[in-house]
Amino acid sequence: MIEPVFLVLSLILGLASVFLLGYAGFALLVPNPQEFRRLERFSLSFGIGATLLTLWMLLLSWLGRSFGLALAMAPPLVLCGGALVIKKMVRIKGKGSETAPPSPAPLPPTPYTAWDWLFLSLLAALFLFATCRAVLYPMWAWDAIATWGCKAKVFYQSGGVDLICIDAHNYYPNLVPLLLSYLYFCLGRVNDHLAQGLFPLWGALLLSLLYSLLRRLHFSRTQALGVTAFLALNGTVFIVHLYIAYADLPLAYFALAAAGLCYLWLTPAAPRGSLPLAASFFAGLAWCKYEGPPLAGTVLLAAALTLIWLRPPDLKGRLLKLGIPILGLIAGYLPWRVFAAIQHLEMGADHVQSLYPRQFLEAASYLLAALFDPFYFGFLWPALVLALVFGSRGLWRSPRVFLVLFVGGNLLAVLLAYGVAPTSAEEFPSYVRATLDRLLLHITPVAALLIGEGVKELGGEPET
Amino acid sequence: MKLTNNWRRWFFWLFSCLWAGQIIWLGWYFAPEVRDLAWRLASQRTGAAIRQEDSYYRWLQALAEIIPLRDTYIFLDNYEAGKEIEARYHLTPRRHELLPPTVPPSFLFYTVRQTRATYLIIREGDKPWESIDAVKESPAFQLLAIPGPGLVFRVDYSRLAGRFYD
Repeated sequence: MIEPVFLVLSLILGLASVFLLGYAGFALLVPNPQEFRRLERFSLSFGIGATLLTLWMLLLSWLGRSFGLALAMAPPLVLCGGALVIKKMVRIKGKGSETAPPSPAPLPPTPYTAWDWLFLSLLAALFLFATCRAVLYPMWAWDAIATWGCKAKVFYQSGGVDLICIDAHNYYPNLVPLLLSYLYFCLGRVNDHLAQGLFPLWGALLLSLLYSLLRRLHFSRTQALGVTAFLALNGTVFIVHLYIAYADLPLAYFALAAAGLCYLWLTPAAPRGSLPLAASFFAGLAWCKYEGPPLAGTVLLAAALTLIWLRPPDLKGRLLKLGIPILGLIAGYLPWRVFAAIQHLEMGADHVQSLYPRQFLEAASYLLAALFDPFYFGFLWPALVLALVFGSRGLWRSPRVFLVLFVGGNLLAVLLAYGVAPTSAEEFPSYVRATLDRLLLHITPVAALLIGEGVKELGGEPET
Repeated sequence: MKLTNNWRRWFFWLFSCLWAGQIIWLGWYFAPEVRDLAWRLASQRTGAAIRQEDSYYRWLQALAEIIPLRDTYIFLDNYEAGKEIEARYHLTPRRHELLPPTVPPSFLFYTVRQTRATYLIIREGDKPWESIDAVKESPAFQLLAIPGPGLVFRVDYSRLAGRFYD
């Protein structure tokens, strides 16, 4: 009885350390963390911590140092803690010369409505099921054991990013496998079912982030909870990804954080430091999955096009500020590419051959089917269409156009990716079936944000 | 929540009803998994115990005991079956080479020689595979008596010429 309790405690402590590291990074990136609400800090910290920790583990491998629990976690924690102390000292010295903007006014305490309780109960039931399903069953899903879990096991056994003994898409970025291997170090063994608890946590963080973004955009609690539950409880894809060890849910989290923070920055709702914070999520995007850099590229492109389209007063300055997330993207992309080049890893170039128009058209029909078949995402994508139709008033004159460009651009990118995929005619349908729902999952949380904006438009002025 | 006009309100509630139907359908869809979960919790058969129910996993565990950690094995199977990824997962860090059951003896021997494989594993021993006669006749391959769904041969790769066109 004592051993399982000890294992669960080790897992919780391991995850708490990631939060702590992330919070230190968060506090370094923004001028005043108190300008962010508690739930925002909580949901953003884990992503930053996971990115910092796993990039550090990559650096250790690069330096030829075998890592264990202490070497993986202690130095980045000490470094970030030290940097925080220095930042605080500098702030104390410079006190008086700068006036900090006021913290956001605390929301008036409003009683929970029946709808709030209903949405919270549904989400609680979902996460009870997903967490039990994740931690009580061994790792079993295809890519979990073929790629992510297999690498995590090898990294744990070798104490480094050692890809000599396996051939499991070795060129894929390694945020998820390294984080899993870190949890194995915390647990003291390869315990793939307990480590799978990471994935419902990613899901909960993603939903917390969506809820926080909606609240930041002046949604009432009921509206924000409703949209969050609408994302979580629509179709099977999101739910299944809560308990399988795939990198797609973490990628969706990073995509939502990067796009959401950029969106806040485009609206007047962004707290100070949102763009440097977004930069850290661009790094996470690039380091999480092969599809991350293109996703980051579409966020940047959509943001630049939105600025050019809306022509805010300081257009040039704002366009230049997009260099900050670009730096984040480079910071997440370059270390792995350089490491892979030094290790002579073959980088997958299987998506850059010529365009096959027949595949492009065939993929369009599959895409439409996946968007509107309730099995995958329920009524979420039809709701997006309706939200765009009914909430189109002033769309092209507001920063909401950024979200439309991001989602639309990615749907087009998905079609293009299938158009250039070098598969045979027989293999193509199964290839699309195996990948399309995951590609859509990456952008679905941002689509939910857009639905929320449409619902707000539909409902008039939100309650506060 | 203020709604601007009746038809929008009507549409909103229609959509909400559809969503409620979707939630009920999700409950029905995941009900077998919830039942299995409840049964496993009640009978305390969770985690690693679930793997032990699988005869294929038990066979792989038996293989893990005989194949040294630094060795290489050839796994004869179709990728689509999804079983070789399980073998690779459970047998890491041993090096893994996948070949299809249709591989001709020449290429099989060449691969064994090139990768210095010390074991040959055929997942479905009762199904025909292209190189069966050549392997059984070759003195380099020794069939091991390991109970399970497949066949396991210990290989002495140094006894194979392994030329591609032999």
